[in-house]
Amino acid sequence: MSDASASMLDELPGELMMWVLIISELLVFGAGLAVFLSVRLTDPVGFAESQDYLHRTGAALNTIVLVSSGFLAAYALRWREAAQRLKARLALIAAALLGVVFLIIKGAEYADKAAQGIGPETNAFFTFYYLLTGFHAAHVVAGIVILLLVAWKDEPRNIETGAAFWHMVDLVWVLLFPVVYLLG
Amino acid sequence: MTRDLLTRAWIWLIALSGGSAVVALFVEQGMDRRIAGGLILLLALFKSRTILARYLGLAAAPSWRRGFNLVLSFYCALLLGLYLVGGTTL
Repeated sequence: MSDASASMLDELPGELMMWVLIISELLVFGAGLAVFLSVRLTDPVGFAESQDYLHRTGAALNTIVLVSSGFLAAYALRWREAAQRLKARLALIAAALLGVVFLIIKGAEYADKAAQGIGPETNAFFTFYYLLTGFHAAHVVAGIVILLLVAWKDEPRNIETGAAFWHMVDLVWVLLFPVVYLLG
Repeated sequence: MTRDLLTRAWIWLIALSGGSAVVALFVEQGMDRRIAGGLILLLALFKSRTILARYLGLAAAPSWRRGFNLVLSFYCALLLGLYLVGGTTL
């Protein structure tokens, strides 16, 4: 590897493999959202009508919840680097709890859809809706476990890696939310 | 200083999220959906850039930051193109 490419990689903050994961996840979700809008071309009216069944307010609230959670995770690393371990651990636990809040709001939305008889097989819009938001919710669950794990094993390197995973979950949501919930 | 930048980034993200909600409200009051779609994706792009720069620390890696921003900008343009081609019928 040349010196130039080595120094480029050195410039990246945190673990290189975490960046590989972040880019991979962005590509997967990015492709999913592009396909979602491509399928919409076949039935824009049906997609817009289906979108009106979604809880836009709850999803907007979930955006606030996730960016606030990400803020706490980012702060946790700063605190840990300043040897303020208790503050860092509490921030990570609070970030994980906000992740739980996200899942509760998402769960309420799924329950409401189920009560209305809406499921993944209702139409193409809801197939993609459940696929994309369900896959993202699975990442939120993984992120909560990782945040709690790094709150326990609180080496700065661990916290940096765990927080990076959480920011990736955050990043995916800020792209997913407008496409699935707002672009009707 | 870094902490201040983090706090500013969080406030900026909240403000951008509020902006998306306001645009969605304007749509219900008759705003042109093509303009609304562009604004909503622009706000999403700004949020993504902020998360990459401040939360993920790419502000300290300018060349990577530029690369990510460029790819994200093209990607949001692609999404907008697909949205506009699909029509805004409601």
